[in-house]
Amino acid sequence: MVAPAMTGAERISIVDGAADSAQIAAFERDRRELIRRGLAFGGAVAAASSIPLLLSVRNAFAAGEADKTILADAIRLERIAVLAYGRVIARGLLSARIERLVKQIAAHEREHAGALTTALTDLRLQPPPAPTAKDIDSVVEGIREIDSQADILNFAIELETAAVAAYHDAQQRFFDAKLLQTVASIMASEGQHLVVLRQALNKPPVPNAFETGSK
Amino acid sequence: MDLDSFLRDPRSRRRFFRMSGMGVAGGSAVFLAACSDDTKNPVRLGPDESDQADVEILNGVLDLELMAVAGYKTGAAQLRGEALQIGKLFVEQEQEHADELASAIKDAGGTPNRAKSSYDFPELRSQRDALRFAVELENTAVAAYIDALPKFTSTDLRGTASAILTTEAEHISVLLGALGRPAAARAFVTGEAG
Repeated sequence: MVAPAMTGAERISIVDGAADSAQIAAFERDRRELIRRGLAFGGAVAAASSIPLLLSVRNAFAAGEADKTILADAIRLERIAVLAYGRVIARGLLSARIERLVKQIAAHEREHAGALTTALTDLRLQPPPAPTAKDIDSVVEGIREIDSQADILNFAIELETAAVAAYHDAQQRFFDAKLLQTVASIMASEGQHLVVLRQALNKPPVPNAFETGSK
Repeated sequence: MDLDSFLRDPRSRRRFFRMSGMGVAGGSAVFLAACSDDTKNPVRLGPDESDQADVEILNGVLDLELMAVAGYKTGAAQLRGEALQIGKLFVEQEQEHADELASAIKDAGGTPNRAKSSYDFPELRSQRDALRFAVELENTAVAAYIDALPKFTSTDLRGTASAILTTEAEHISVLLGALGRPAAARAFVTGEAG
């Protein structure tokens, strides 16, 4: 049985009489789905590496209430993605072609983080601190157990899928029009990443007509 | 008009999409940088006005989806093998988008636009032409959805629109790959032709 690792910050704390039942229901739905998907992979590697990551990513936006909060969470998500891709590339398991692909995706994530940081500073707000090694380990636990190119591609698909889901959620929470459009262009970019990653694994590149980051 | 002339001439493209009933964006030339101050904040309207405004926007993107369905069907005559399979899948997905939008329009009390009886598409002489034209249709749709997103008064519709536009971006990737071009070259997908 896979036991998703969760930090205290990722848990939904329920104060007596103050539980948000919709949020809890959504969390439970996501958790069950993630566990099911982790088990479906059949490998401890995928489960260990992707499930903690996905829980953290999805919940990052679930708690956001205002544009600034969602932006800060999105920046953190993109920065951690950059670092996670750097780590898996450094393992030296990728063919030259796939390494170029993953490096390009990482470069895009860096651009996304830059654009979101600009948007935040335009709102006269400070960007969040850069993620530390501890932050990364807390959301990509198990990454060291990845031992093949296929593992890395599956990991990347999970990461990009979670990003699409998070941005899809954010679309319904943002208020500022330009932010909505920026996030939409980033969400579409994550979708394109999914296409090239799926193709690299010989999976159907566009499996459904509505890309929401859910399966 | 042949496809090369069509794609080279921005005026032709703008005229074509306008005449094809596209009511949201003026071709694939709606980008983030072009966002004007009138989109500074989402639209704030009363309930009835909100529904009516959403219906107008939805019918604009529905026009594009219906045109994409027709475009893929026209282009299919030039497609073979894997490219034909791609075309068949994408036309089904564009039809799903159209159906979803039509349903949303009805839910908002509106009447969905219908497909035109014919579209004056440029001449598609080869598989490459058909794929390039499909890229143009998809880019136009992406630009239209990005333009439309902040104008929706319903947050649910924003979710639907963003899911569709991400799928259109995915279509673009597959089509570009089939054309031997980089499939995910840009960090920000805005519908800009390139």
